[in-house]
Amino acid sequence: MTAPAQAQLTRRPRFRLEPYIQFAQKAAAREATYRFDVFTTIASVLVRVYLLRMVWIALYARNVTSEDLPLHAIITYSTVALLMGLVMDIDQTRTLHDKLHSGGIATDFMKPINVPLYFFSDGSGEVLFHAVLIVPSLLFSLLIVHIDVPGPLVLATFFASFFLGYLVGFCVNFIMNCIAFWTLEIHAARLIVTWVSDLFGGEVIPLVIFPLFLQKVAFVLPFAAMFSTPLLIYVGVIKPERYAQALGSQAFWVIVLGLVATLMWRAGAKRVVVQGG
Amino acid sequence: MAIIEAVALRKVFRSVERQPGIGGAIGALFSRTYVEKVAVDDVNFTLEPGELVGYIGPNGAGKSTTIKMLTGILVPTSGTLRVAGIVPQAQRMVNAANIGVVFGQRSQLYWDLPLRESFELLRSIYDVPRARYLENMQHFADILDLGRFLSTPVRQLSLGERMRGDFAAAMLHDPKIVYLDEPTIGLDVVAKEAIRTFIGSVNRERGTTVILTTHDLADVERLSRRIILIDEGTVIYDGSLERLRNEYGTHRTLVVTLAETYPEVVVAGTEVESREANTVRLRFNRRELTAEALIRRVTERYQITDVSIIEPDIETIVRRIYLEGYHDGAVGGPS
Repeated sequence: MTAPAQAQLTRRPRFRLEPYIQFAQKAAAREATYRFDVFTTIASVLVRVYLLRMVWIALYARNVTSEDLPLHAIITYSTVALLMGLVMDIDQTRTLHDKLHSGGIATDFMKPINVPLYFFSDGSGEVLFHAVLIVPSLLFSLLIVHIDVPGPLVLATFFASFFLGYLVGFCVNFIMNCIAFWTLEIHAARLIVTWVSDLFGGEVIPLVIFPLFLQKVAFVLPFAAMFSTPLLIYVGVIKPERYAQALGSQAFWVIVLGLVATLMWRAGAKRVVVQGG
Repeated sequence: MAIIEAVALRKVFRSVERQPGIGGAIGALFSRTYVEKVAVDDVNFTLEPGELVGYIGPNGAGKSTTIKMLTGILVPTSGTLRVAGIVPQAQRMVNAANIGVVFGQRSQLYWDLPLRESFELLRSIYDVPRARYLENMQHFADILDLGRFLSTPVRQLSLGERMRGDFAAAMLHDPKIVYLDEPTIGLDVVAKEAIRTFIGSVNRERGTTVILTTHDLADVERLSRRIILIDEGTVIYDGSLERLRNEYGTHRTLVVTLAETYPEVVVAGTEVESREANTVRLRFNRRELTAEALIRRVTERYQITDVSIIEPDIETIVRRIYLEGYHDGAVGGPS
């Protein structure tokens, strides 16, 4: 063997983005193969928009008004939350759990790819496909409810905050699915996380309506960063002067959870290479 | 220079020992006793570039554990391993680019997408130049007859079609080494033959080094000159198939068709394996008795119309070794 060929052999392959873009594209294509799901998803959004509208109208008629959120704002809040849910409620790292369960993770480790990044790309491709559903869902929702549309600054900040919220959600899901490295089954963990995040994420009930001590509990949990922060920016409860603080705290959670996810991944991957999965 | 080198390779798994029943399952939540299981124990072998080796052993012998260590996804407990000049688990990414893997029981194809899309994804993962990719695709489509189902989603493929897809997928980036773990399991005769032809041609024409683990010894007889036999984690034989047959396949069978019916057939130095009407199968030791001498003995006492000799097949030999162990003493391969 010649010297250059030897050098070629041991050189670490340079990082290329292309495969990860492809992972995302294939994941989106994969999702698209289940077309029936598309219609049922839109239909379920519409049903929930309608039901929530009824609930809030009934509650507000009994004087459960909040100073921060008049009726039109809370209906806007609920509808935008449901639309965000199209993206946020997907466990985009479920594949990790499935592959740990089936042992298929081994084939991923046998490829020259960064495996966690593969899961991120794959999950994001899946999510991007579902994000497309937001547009028709929004249009149909407008037939049922009227929602407020804020100015460009608020909208831009909302989208930035939404993105940070997505990253927080990704980390939460990833951590949860990493538990399968040790237990293989994650039903219980998933139930707890879903339950707590439904309550403290602000997806269904705005946190500003909560009693003060519950708001404090919500603040020390990462879930508010997923739904509540972008939504409160959208409806104007979080004012522009507090934008930096709001986005900052989301970024804080991305960093903290990202670190936890990295540590769990490393420990889990080590377990696989030592114990054989 | 050797392309694969395993020295004193050892892998020990630690697992929780469970008492039977629900009580045991609950007990295991609180206190655990660990049991150690030696999956691979002091395995040594070297492979030269371009070799095709059958890695044979019964279930649980340590074959898959060895393959997993070679691919870099399992860290050896002790011993050293070098694959194409690098330590697999230390440089997983570099190693991954050098190897191709096919598992008979597990697909690396994208389940929901047409076969072609999996290939395109792999092209991108391994950074295969477009021209080379098209050339390989053309070549594989020809030998493996992929053309008919390239646009079919993988989940709709038959097992035989899927395996052919998996083989093409593993070879697309021209790996230096391929590991084939039970690649023909569950396939029909036609598909098995197609896969064997493919493995043979890849090994011959591209000089790809191949390690093949299998239960189907016909794969080995057809493809490899060298086999490594492993049992209970240790290598019990490493050498040519020919030598194994010479050393171990000492018993042959003489099939005699008698001209008339005799109440009893007794020939010195043989034992009757079976008898069906006028056809008698006589087992004899090649070292003690030549075929010529035996036929003479038979014809002296009986009228016969036909005679033939059956050589022991590798399956019989290997089964005997699993049951009795390898006795030859001098175990070892090319060093």
